Amino acid sequence: MKRKHHLKLNKYLVAGGIMTAVMVILAIVGTFWTPYSTTTMSAAEKFAAPSLHHIMGTDNFGRDIFSRVMKGLGTTMMVGTLVVVAAGAVGILVGALTGFFGGWIDEVMMRINDAINGFPSILLSLVVISVLGMGRQNVILALSIVFIPSFVRIVRSEYIRLRDMEFVNSARIMGVSKMRILFVHILPNILSVFSISMMIGFNNAILAESGMSYLGIGVQPPDASLGKMLSDAQGYMFTAPWYALSAGVTIVVLVLGISLLGEGIRRCSND
Amino acid sequence: MIKIEDLSVSFQGRTAVEHVSFSIEPGEIIGIVGESGSGKSVTALTLMGLLAEQASVDSGRVTFDDTVLLEAGRSIDKRLLQKFQGSRMSMVFQEPMTSLNPTMKVGKQVEEVLQLHTELKGEEARKKVLSIFDEVGLKNSDMVYESYPHQLSGGMRQRVMIAMALILEPELIIADEPTTALDVTIQAQIIALLKEINKRHHNAMLFITHDLNLAKTLASKIMVMHHGQIVETGTPEEIFTNPQDDYTKMLISAVPQRKKRTCNNAAQRNQKSSAAKGLKSFEEDEDNRKSIAEQIIENLQNVEKEHQEQCVQNGSREILRVSDLDVFYKEGNNSLFGGKKKKQVVNGADFSIYEGEVLGLVGESGCGKTSLSRAILGLNQNYSGQIQHFTERPQMIFQDPYSSLNPAKTIGWLLEEPLRVQKVGKDDRKQAAMEMLAKIGLDETYYRRKPSELSGGQRQRISIGQALITRPHFVIADEPVSALDVTIQAQIMDLMMNLKEEMGLSYLFISHDINIVYQISDRIMVMKDGTIIEMGETEELFSNPREEYTKILLA
Repeated sequence: MKRKHHLKLNKYLVAGGIMTAVMVILAIVGTFWTPYSTTTMSAAEKFAAPSLHHIMGTDNFGRDIFSRVMKGLGTTMMVGTLVVVAAGAVGILVGALTGFFGGWIDEVMMRINDAINGFPSILLSLVVISVLGMGRQNVILALSIVFIPSFVRIVRSEYIRLRDMEFVNSARIMGVSKMRILFVHILPNILSVFSISMMIGFNNAILAESGMSYLGIGVQPPDASLGKMLSDAQGYMFTAPWYALSAGVTIVVLVLGISLLGEGIRRCSND
Repeated sequence: MIKIEDLSVSFQGRTAVEHVSFSIEPGEIIGIVGESGSGKSVTALTLMGLLAEQASVDSGRVTFDDTVLLEAGRSIDKRLLQKFQGSRMSMVFQEPMTSLNPTMKVGKQVEEVLQLHTELKGEEARKKVLSIFDEVGLKNSDMVYESYPHQLSGGMRQRVMIAMALILEPELIIADEPTTALDVTIQAQIIALLKEINKRHHNAMLFITHDLNLAKTLASKIMVMHHGQIVETGTPEEIFTNPQDDYTKMLISAVPQRKKRTCNNAAQRNQKSSAAKGLKSFEEDEDNRKSIAEQIIENLQNVEKEHQEQCVQNGSREILRVSDLDVFYKEGNNSLFGGKKKKQVVNGADFSIYEGEVLGLVGESGCGKTSLSRAILGLNQNYSGQIQHFTERPQMIFQDPYSSLNPAKTIGWLLEEPLRVQKVGKDDRKQAAMEMLAKIGLDETYYRRKPSELSGGQRQRISIGQALITRPHFVIADEPVSALDVTIQAQIMDLMMNLKEEMGLSYLFISHDINIVYQISDRIMVMKDGTIIEMGETEELFSNPREEYTKILLA
């Protein structure tokens, strides 16, 4: 009877699922095959409006925008995923230890956390990039560092809430080791909250990556990235509006889809 | 005065109250008794017009004097209800902490009721509030007026709530479990207060409780509710001496009573039968009375000796010795620079538990009984004095089965975890878990279920199973039944007794309810403000309590 509850679909889940699925499929296909080469330029087809040949038109070098969106989507999503996984893993580790044990570890860690949180994320990533240099790996590293504090906060507060629950005491009385209590007994209980914060984090990472690429400190050409495309397109806003629109709308659909998916899951698990 | 006719209420198709009819006259106290989910609170809320929006009144109506307050098929007239709420009928809720606004002085909160319904203002209103505080037995009413809810004790807060309900001199007071969140001694005071108020103001009272005994002491008429229906109505005497309905009978038998326990001890049984035999021949054989009498006495002495020897055999082995134990609690913030204060919660505890024995520990909340058990279990290391275990680690049965079972795991996993820690092999673990499920009266299908699919009683069974799966000798049970309904309580107590016999366990049984402790314990300790003030054999303590405090608890 309860099992049915988990499968019950709601509109958020369906809409978010479809939008996300389309984006994921485009990104995966894009890594292996695109309708046109993403780097071949063609002066003849410069700024071609959307047509059956180029469904999103072409850019200032005559490259097919749809192909570049597919490639850029792949880059963006990979950056987002890696950032969330790396920041999430550190977040769980630090959050679990500080939340469960408290005391001076907690105090020191949280002050470091606050310090990182104190800087605007773009500024902090700028610092990291300027120290380490540009490139895809460094973008991922910079964003991961920026995203750790939010995960630590969430995981820590969940551990604080759960550490005094009777089932934790019960495990202690059984003689379960501390590490096992932390990661086998308590961790499964925070996964629903954590998975939702992962989704929100994923969205923020996508937006941050786009923002960094837009500023020119993100993924470097000839790699395609949605943010970089948006930044390139801004000079041609009136001559070729489809350029900016296709990159912009793709980001919106991706972020919206994942938000809806997260909301859908939250509603499902709350029922 | 108030009439409820054929009332049915449902929540989104699920019926909560079914065809309930009754009426309340001035001066009358009606007790509605039932377990959680029986519809007693819904009935009261309907009467007050405080039903949630999802609820729908399917049939019947509520009339107050001659005004129809509520009728099925008619939209609820909020204006009309508001006129009655507070001024002509009012309500006292269960949880006095959450029903008072924590950011407002309690005096102001009570005064607000006056401002909403009367013309009284300023000094006059204040005077009225102070006088009502006096009436509900709040000493220093000036100080109470200026206090915030968190500065008052639970009993005082409930008195404030009663003052608030009383201040407009309503004709009907609905009290929904007004004493459930309170300690026993405070409970008795509040009940006395309600009774007194009823006598003085001659108003009607609807008293809702799960506790049949409480209803008996207060109510002039008791209605028993079950699954949304009133199954039986009568005076307390009728209900207790001659219950008609099966459910009522079950409820009464489940109430922990201080009847003599059946004698389980073989020696005592022998003693009884030989004494009976002797008595019979004593009556029949007139000539040899003297020798028979001597024989009886000798017999009894032998039996007594035998009994003692058995007791020594059974119970000579000490399982736990606690000597001169002080337990502290770290207070203050846990931060880097914050100071740490130690607060003493247990004061010089000194006792032993023997094999096969059940030692009861009685005390009110905050008396240190849980701190004591945590120290024994090793969960709190801040103690001085000695705790000696003569067997392996004690296991524990927790109070709240909703938080003591990890919600992310299956029942099978939970039962196996203690064995997993002891590195027992996979197949052995599963077999042990299955055997334990049978022992605690659940079938094998529960192995794959999650705690969220189980009822409170079933969860408590799992919690017991989890504590016993490693075959410990000594188990601490901290209020194992106080979160459960009465009928379930009786089942869990039975289970604990059976498992004790079967597995040769010793219990330290902690409860605030001396009647429950009485049922199960061989010896009882009474704790007050961190000190064990009295300890003795159960029967001895009950028939002849030394301390004043124990007498209050027993009353």
